[in-house]
Amino acid sequence: MRKKITPTKVCTYVVLTFWALTTLYPFVWVILNSFREKGLIRKDSFSIPLPGSGLTTDNYAKAMERFDFANAYLNSLIVSIAVTIAVVIIAGLAAYGLVRFKFKLRGACYSLIMAGMMFPVFSTIIPVFRMEAAWGIASSGNRWLSLLAVILPQIAGNLCFAIIVLMGFIESVPIELEESAYVDGCNVFQVYFHIIIPAAKSSFATVAIFSFLWSYNDLFTQNFFLRVPREKTITLLLNEISSQAGVDYGLMASSVVLIVVPVLIVYVLLQKHIVKGLTAGAVKG
Amino acid sequence: MSLYRKKGPLIVFLLPAFVFLVLFLYYPFIQNILNSFSDITGLGSPSKGLNDPWWANYATLFTDPKLRTAMVNTVILTVCTVVFQVGIALVLALLVDSIKVGAQLFRTLYFFPIVISATALGLMFNLIFLYNGGMVNQLLQALGIISENVDWKDSGHFRFTMLAPVMWQYVGFYFVILVTGLNNIPADLYEAAALDGCTGLKRVRHITLPLLRNVLCTCLVLAITGALKVFDLPWVMFGAGMPQDQGWLTGTYMYDQTFNRGNVDYGSTIAILIVVLGVVLSNVANRVFKPRNDI
Amino acid sequence: MKKNRLLAIALSAALLLGLLAGCGSKSNDNPNSGNGGNQGGSSVELNVVTSYGGDDGNRKQYEAAVKSYEEATGNKVLDASASSNEEWKAKVLTDFETGTEPDVLFFFTNADAEPFIQAGKVVDVATVRAEYPDYGSNMRDSMLAVASDGKNYAIPSSGFWENMFVNTKVLSDCGISVPGPDYTWDQFLKDCQAIKDKGYTPIACSLFEVPHYWFEFCVMNNGTLANQLDIPASADDAAGQKWCAALNDIKDLYEKGFFPANTLTATDAETVQIFGDGEAAFLIDGSWKVTHFVDNYPENLENFAISYVPAKGERKASEAIGGISMGYFITKKAWDDPAKREAAVKFVEHMTSDEVMSTFVTTEVTALKNGASPAGLNPLQQAAAKANAEITGVVGAVQDTISSEAKTDLFANVQNVVTGAMSPEDAVNSAIALN
Repeated sequence: MRKKITPTKVCTYVVLTFWALTTLYPFVWVILNSFREKGLIRKDSFSIPLPGSGLTTDNYAKAMERFDFANAYLNSLIVSIAVTIAVVIIAGLAAYGLVRFKFKLRGACYSLIMAGMMFPVFSTIIPVFRMEAAWGIASSGNRWLSLLAVILPQIAGNLCFAIIVLMGFIESVPIELEESAYVDGCNVFQVYFHIIIPAAKSSFATVAIFSFLWSYNDLFTQNFFLRVPREKTITLLLNEISSQAGVDYGLMASSVVLIVVPVLIVYVLLQKHIVKGLTAGAVKG
Repeated sequence: MSLYRKKGPLIVFLLPAFVFLVLFLYYPFIQNILNSFSDITGLGSPSKGLNDPWWANYATLFTDPKLRTAMVNTVILTVCTVVFQVGIALVLALLVDSIKVGAQLFRTLYFFPIVISATALGLMFNLIFLYNGGMVNQLLQALGIISENVDWKDSGHFRFTMLAPVMWQYVGFYFVILVTGLNNIPADLYEAAALDGCTGLKRVRHITLPLLRNVLCTCLVLAITGALKVFDLPWVMFGAGMPQDQGWLTGTYMYDQTFNRGNVDYGSTIAILIVVLGVVLSNVANRVFKPRNDI
Repeated sequence: MKKNRLLAIALSAALLLGLLAGCGSKSNDNPNSGNGGNQGGSSVELNVVTSYGGDDGNRKQYEAAVKSYEEATGNKVLDASASSNEEWKAKVLTDFETGTEPDVLFFFTNADAEPFIQAGKVVDVATVRAEYPDYGSNMRDSMLAVASDGKNYAIPSSGFWENMFVNTKVLSDCGISVPGPDYTWDQFLKDCQAIKDKGYTPIACSLFEVPHYWFEFCVMNNGTLANQLDIPASADDAAGQKWCAALNDIKDLYEKGFFPANTLTATDAETVQIFGDGEAAFLIDGSWKVTHFVDNYPENLENFAISYVPAKGERKASEAIGGISMGYFITKKAWDDPAKREAAVKFVEHMTSDEVMSTFVTTEVTALKNGASPAGLNPLQQAAAKANAEITGVVGAVQDTISSEAKTDLFANVQNVVTGAMSPEDAVNSAIALN
């Protein structure tokens, strides 16, 4: 049976392509201009820079020359991966507990988590800093402790969001599966690991992606805790570059590209994982 | 049901999360509540005692014209967020779900704006809306639509310039959440529906949307809470209330009061306002949109 | 299966990269870990915080000076410098409160430093001199900042001046000669009109971000050098009237359309750029901007000159703003640590030595007894030196004498004053209430 090209289908693709262009174009624009000679961006930002007419790699050379990029990527990856793993584990447990158990304080817990999502980081950072300084992990001069000092509040900051989202997904897992597993003699923990996690696998991946991204892109917390050059993450490096750039738009553009590439790689890899988790879930479901 | 009757394991499920939340969110926020009643003039400096009267900051909330501006802008932002971000995301998610060829590609592309940090996006949009030689002004001049540069951040244009990037960025976010929700709908439900002759828009209305309700509700809550504390993008692009104190949002106003004005106690008060509004609004949203009244 | 392998390869590559980088940094750490034991004479790790990070104009000079200190002493400097803003100041003060302050701090010497001075967290110069008599001996003692308890705590570093930069190319295109030390306000208004009629922007300034440059000089124009630093008690007293008149002068310039069309929404960087690109004629800015033009417009430096801010009333155009607002502090923590005491003192002595200071000070105010001897001035610095030679009077900035809350409030309201949304009196009263 051959597929027909219906008007509905054409419309669908037109709409989808249009939105795809709006998300893709600014990014392409930034990449193009990151290779453009200084001063040309404000005059002519649309053409493709060609050798001899404005093509240059100076912007990247300038960004690379002053900074230890490998070390900064390493710091960023340590922080973001630690945060992601901790958030997925802790939030998964909490979301499951809140969705399936009926207990007195459940409504209160939910409201607390909802409120936690609203707390602006600016109002909590100073007490957190004082507390961590008292524990001896903030501003200790030790690189690993400083990274830990960022990881802990970032975990807390991402938890509420992760719990709320995972609750939404776990609620839609059919409860019959769990019942039959219980009849087969599974305890709560076995049900969680063997039924819930596989069924909501793609939701866990989604939460993991967002936790990773927010941790990686977060400037404020990192800026507060990481100050010595060897502790700096990629976000901080590029913030520094762009603040030094002033109106050097080419340097800014190349900074944006350098910060985005690793995240795109992580995303594309994890996204394949989502699709896989899906098909596995569908077979079981 | 009997599996969940014993409450013992609950400790294991909830304890780790609440230890983190108490230490890094609730305890600092209680400090923040105390601060809102105190007199603090510098970020690093200790309280000089209670305000006189102790609720002085809360009284100011009602008379501060800039806060009123911030609230109005934030309400506009919230409404736009719910309508456009979640709305567009839902349409796109349903469309992508209905096709086979290229679905993966679209999924990846729509996520792009989320991947880039808000600071980087702010820089990018500053370039796009730059007065002197920005992308939009260059384009409009090339097309002959305008002859003079347009100041996209002045009183006449700032709402658009502020809202459009925020809307655009977060569509991808809700899109991913909704697509994940769609994927969690078992395929055999659709097959059964198809046997009953339920396809296309009908299927969307009778099967997809009801099953997506939980996830949609989550999106709504996220959209409301997110809008109330939107900060990075407007801050990078507009800074302190540009233009002429008309562009405040609750998030940027709170930051400005705390970090630039050293008015820490008033900043704390605004933070509490944000939290209270967020909890109230999201509870309302939950009540209205959630059919299974189990929370 | 294929996807799994791809993921595995990527992860292991990331791991490998991590290991490599980890090893690299470990070998860097090794020499320092030895000094945990603090054997006298071995290298010391010194925590330093300055405002020479980020986009500071002297960052390169600072980094070179730190390097030469490290080479000369074998000590290691853990530098946590950033560029100065309110958030940075808050961070520094919080550090003092939590006991995580650095060993040496380069910070503002005005009221901003009082919290940690009063808490006894920094050592005063006299105490240091009791043991190291040469500490800061190359500085004029009269120019050391005096704290509220009457003692000196900081060794001053480079100062600053603020004056008017002009784009000579724009001026000559409009048939206007570079203003001299007798430049009057009336002539300035005429020149601005001529420049505007030619299609250029007369004054490059973001009233949104940096109205303070014009405010300082307009206050001076409505008073004298002697009463420049008077702070109003309200908008009605003499100083208050002076401030209101200054705001009205800025409003007048705004209403005449002499500022850029987007002055209320542009950033400082944007408006400096239109000046640099030859689209605007006048720019009031500080000595730190010289480096900016040298770095960004090396091939047309001759288009820029340092001139004088037009004068009104009793002020002469040859009177300008300048001073020293920052200096090096040694913390009590470092002083009480026998391993760090010497290293910290030597660091400050090195950073404030005649030799190092001469790389920072080209045309700025200095407290050096012998003066600075900068080498190889570029054309713009020569122009600045020439203009400075004609300067007949210098006074500090009045904005440095009011609290930062008052300052922020006042300058945030300039945009409301020029658009008529707020009266100058209300703006002054609102700011003074916070002082």
